[in-house]
Amino acid sequence: MSLESPLETIVVDTDLDEPPEKVWRALTEPEVLDRWLAEAKDRAEVVESEPGKRLRLTWRDRDADGGLVESEVTFTLTPMITGGTRLRLVHDGFVHTACMSALARLPRALRRPRLANLGGLAWAA
Amino acid sequence: MPPEAALFRTLADPTRRAVFERLGEGEMTVSDLRSGFSVSQPAISQHLAALKAAGLVSERRAGRNAFYRLRPEGLAPLAGWVDRYRTFWPERIAKLKDVLKDMEP
Repeated sequence: MSLESPLETIVVDTDLDEPPEKVWRALTEPEVLDRWLAEAKDRAEVVESEPGKRLRLTWRDRDADGGLVESEVTFTLTPMITGGTRLRLVHDGFVHTACMSALARLPRALRRPRLANLGGLAWAA
Repeated sequence: MPPEAALFRTLADPTRRAVFERLGEGEMTVSDLRSGFSVSQPAISQHLAALKAAGLVSERRAGRNAFYRLRPEGLAPLAGWVDRYRTFWPERIAKLKDVLKDMEP
């Protein structure tokens, strides 16, 4: 399993032993989905489905005063020579992309403020 | 309202976001900032006040001038919000692997 991490996008790649048809069932049959991603019931809505290959969902989070933060989750299934499936999950398309793009345009070192003590940083660089 | 929701709301306004990005160039006064924007100085001041309230901008007064600069640490809650999903998905994929092992062929 590997993670790529620009702040605006989450990508998770993973190799599964099972063939795409079976992985597809785990993504789309409600009772199976409920066993590993119960949140999907409340948060996800299918917007595009290419059976066995690609599933695109709208993913909604509710903030404390009922506002919605909307984003997109895409699962892509690729068959592997071994008979298994390479599964790629991409979580992006945040509707508050506004916010994300402001962040993306900041100098790189400032995007992850928790990782550095920036309190005394001089801005007139 | 969780802090990240406040941030989303503050930066949802395109002019405010542009002001925020512009401050990435360095510390500025309101009149420095105003050049390049077609909005009035009071409007810029209002956006600055909102950014200040959200913890995204700080103000330093020197004589009659006020200087504004970014507070990058103000973005920390946002990074936290995305980070929750950075942990969430690998955990769920691990669960998916278990579920697949148990499934009928």
